[in-house]
Amino acid sequence: MIRAAGETENAADDDDPGGVAPTFSALLEDSAEDLYEHAPCGYLSTLMDGTIAKINTTLLGWLGFERAELIGRRRFSDLLTVGGRIYYETHIGPMLALQGEAGGLALELRTAAGTQLPVLVTSTVKRGSDGDAQLIRITIFDARDRLAYERELLRARRQADEERDRVRKLASTLQQTLLPPVLMTVPGLQTAAHYHPASVDEVGGDFYDLFPLTGGTWGFFLGDVSGKGAEAAVVTSLIRYTLRAAAVFEPEPISVLNNLNTVLHERFLAGDARFCTVIYGSLVPVPDGCEITLASGGHPPAVVVRADGTARFLHTPRGMLVGGVPNASFTAVTTRLGPGDTLLLYSDGLTEARTTGSSDRYSEEDLLAFLATANATGAAEVIRVLTDLLRGFGDGVEDDTALLALSVPGSDS
Amino acid sequence: MSDVDVSSRHNVTVIGRTDGPTVLLAHGYGCDQNLWRLVAPVLAKTFRVVLFDHVGAGGSDLSAWSADRYATLDAYAEDVLEICAELGLRDVVLVGHSVSAMIAVLAVNREPALFAKLVLLTPSPCYLDDGDYRGGFSRADIDELLESLDSNYLGWSATMAPVIMGNPDRPELGAELTNSFCRTDPAIAQVFARATFLSDNRADLPKVGVPTLVIQTAQDAIASQEVGRFVHAQIAGSELVTLDAIGHCPQLSAPEVTAEAISAFAGAR
Amino acid sequence: MSGVFAVTTRTVPTGTVLAFAGELDSGTAPAAHGAMTKLSLNAGDQLVVDLAGLEFCDSSGITVLVSAHNLARGAGAGFALAAVSRQLGRTLDILGLTGLFATYPTADDASAAWSPAGSREDGVV
Repeated sequence: MIRAAGETENAADDDDPGGVAPTFSALLEDSAEDLYEHAPCGYLSTLMDGTIAKINTTLLGWLGFERAELIGRRRFSDLLTVGGRIYYETHIGPMLALQGEAGGLALELRTAAGTQLPVLVTSTVKRGSDGDAQLIRITIFDARDRLAYERELLRARRQADEERDRVRKLASTLQQTLLPPVLMTVPGLQTAAHYHPASVDEVGGDFYDLFPLTGGTWGFFLGDVSGKGAEAAVVTSLIRYTLRAAAVFEPEPISVLNNLNTVLHERFLAGDARFCTVIYGSLVPVPDGCEITLASGGHPPAVVVRADGTARFLHTPRGMLVGGVPNASFTAVTTRLGPGDTLLLYSDGLTEARTTGSSDRYSEEDLLAFLATANATGAAEVIRVLTDLLRGFGDGVEDDTALLALSVPGSDS
Repeated sequence: MSDVDVSSRHNVTVIGRTDGPTVLLAHGYGCDQNLWRLVAPVLAKTFRVVLFDHVGAGGSDLSAWSADRYATLDAYAEDVLEICAELGLRDVVLVGHSVSAMIAVLAVNREPALFAKLVLLTPSPCYLDDGDYRGGFSRADIDELLESLDSNYLGWSATMAPVIMGNPDRPELGAELTNSFCRTDPAIAQVFARATFLSDNRADLPKVGVPTLVIQTAQDAIASQEVGRFVHAQIAGSELVTLDAIGHCPQLSAPEVTAEAISAFAGAR
Repeated sequence: MSGVFAVTTRTVPTGTVLAFAGELDSGTAPAAHGAMTKLSLNAGDQLVVDLAGLEFCDSSGITVLVSAHNLARGAGAGFALAAVSRQLGRTLDILGLTGLFATYPTADDASAAWSPAGSREDGVV
C-alpha cells in the first residue's frame, strides 16, 4: 500500500504536481459495499414475488423513503405508477420469468412526495447453484435527462412536421398566385382549365392565363418554365406579367413572344440560364365563333377538336423556346373556331407521363388519338376526360401538368 | 381473411395426447404462447394441448394485423373460432388468461356447441371502476399505461428496425429476436391495450352456458379478488378457485398448482 | 439523384470538341457549364458538342446546349451537335431548335463539314 502510494506520488510529480495522489489512494480504498450503496445508479433486489429485499442508498435518496418502509413491506411494482405497474405485471414480469432478464425498460417511479421519476430499468434473475431462481436484481438509472431528450426529439419531429406543412402551404399559396384564381368568362365561349402539381413540396413551373384586351379581343397563354421551385416561380411570375404587359403594348402573338424573349434572354445572359416554352394566343370574336391566332415558342402543338369529333394539331413549325437565344424566331398559325369546336393547350406533363404498367411514355400522337375517340364536346368536357386520364396515370405523371381549353358552344346548345 | 392459413397466421402448436380431450390455451395481453411454457407440458400428459399466438403477438403473421380489425375483442374471439374450425376441434376446454378470459367468454357465447368447458384465469370483465363496481383502474391510469408504452417506443424501434428491414450482415439481431419473448410492436401493443383495458364485458358473463372455472390468485395487481368473485357470481354454476400465488400470471409464478387446477376441472366427467 | 456524367474537351484542327457522356440533368449541368467556361474559342473556329455517350438529357441539359451555342456565337465561332439521339432530336424539334443547331452523325463528320467562310452552320441569320 505504502509502496503503491509512493509510486503514484512519483507519477503525479511527473505529470501533475497538484494533489492527485491522495484521491487515487482514496479510490483504492473504495469498498464494494460503499460502491453498492452510493453508486451513481439505483440498486434493488426483490424476492421472486417482487417483495423488496434490498435497496441502495442512492435509490432511497431518489425516492425519499426510509429503508424500513420498503424492505419486506413493499413490492417493486408498488413503486411504479399505475400504468407502469400494469406494464410490469403483464409484460416485464413474464419476460423475467421466461428469459431471466429484461432490459432497457422506460418506467416511472413514484417518490414518497408523490412526484414521478422517469427511469430506465434493467433486471436479471439470480439463480442458486441448483438453478432455482432466487432473486430479481434491478438496476435503475435516472432517466430525467433521457426523458428531456426524448421530449426534445418528439418536439423536433413535430416541428419538422409543421415545417413541412408550412412549406407545402407556402408552395400551394405561391402556386395560386401564378395561376388565375378563377378563369375569366369570355362572352360567347366556354373556358376550362386544370392544373396538376407533380409535387406538394415545390412550386411547379407550368402556367396559364386568359385575360381581356381592347375591342372585345382576348389574350391567353399556357407554358412551362424549365426547372421548378422558388427560382422557377420567380421566372413564372416574370413571364406572366411580361406577357400581359406585352399584349397590351402590341397584341400580335409573334410580337408578344419577341418581347418575352428579350426580357428572358437578358436574365439568361445575366446568369439565370432558364428558358420557357409557351403558346401565346389572341382571340377575336367573329359571328358564330372566334378567330384564334397562336404563336408557339418551342411548345408542344395545340389541338383543335372539331364539332364532328375529328382532332388535329395546330402546328407552329420552328417556333423556338423562349429566352435561350437573342433573336429567337416564332411562327404563328390562325384558325377559326366554329360552333362545337374546342381548342386545347397542354403542357408536356401530360404527353410525357408514363403510361400505367410500362416504361412507355404517353405522346402527342397518343393524345390526338385519345381526343379523336373520347367523343368529348366542349371545353369543360375535354378537360374532364383529360383529368380522368391523368388520374389514371397515377404516379406516372412525373411533371406538373397544365391544361387550358376554349370552345364555342354547339349550335344545338 | 379466408385465403390465409389460420394455423400459420396464429403460429399454432399442438402437443400432448392425440386421444385426450382438447385444451385450447389463449394467452393474454403483453405476451404470447410462451406464457404457457411451464404449464403446457404438465397438461400434455393428459390432454391434447393447442397453443397459439393472437395476431400481433409472438410468432403470429403480423401482416394479418390491422388497427381497425383488432380494435375490439370480438376480432380475437372470431380468431379463436377460426382456429377451432380449421383444426376441427370439438368439445374444447377453452382456457383464457387475463384479457383472453373475456375473449374466451365471447367465443363461447358465439358458438357454445364447440366448447365443453371454460376456464377463466385471472379474469376481469372490466378494468375500469364504474359506480359500485371496482375494476381497479381509472381512465387516467389506463392513459398512463398507454403513455408508458409510447415511452418504450424509441428503444424498440432501435433494436427492431434492422430486424424488420432484413439486415443480412447482422444475423445476431435475428437470434436476439427469437430469444426475446413477449416482444411486441408498440403500435400493436397500443391497440391491444386499448381493446383490453377499455372494454366492458360484464354483460356477457351471465350468457355463458358451459361449465366454467374461475381461477384467481391471492394477490393480483391487475385483477383483484373482488373482481374474481364478481365473475364467479355472474356466471351461474361456475366454480371459483383462489390459488395461493402472487401476481397476475400464476402459470409462471405457480405453474404446478395452476396446471393442477386446470387439469382437475378439464378432466372431470 | 443525378447519375454519372463526364465531360471531355478535345482540341482538333477545326476548333474544339466537347464530349458529354452519361446523364445531363440539373445535378450534372453545372459540370458541363464549368467545362464550357474554360474553353477558348477563336473567331472562325468550330465548337462541336459530341453527344455519342449521352444517355439522358432533361431541360437543364437543353439549357447547356443553348448556352454552348450562345458561347460559340459570341466568339464568332461555328456550332454543331454530333450524334444526336432520336429522342433528343425529337425534343429539339418540339423546342424549335433543329434550325438552330447543325447536326452530324459524328464529331468527325462535323469537323469535316466545317468551312469557316460562308458557313451554313447557324440557321439563324
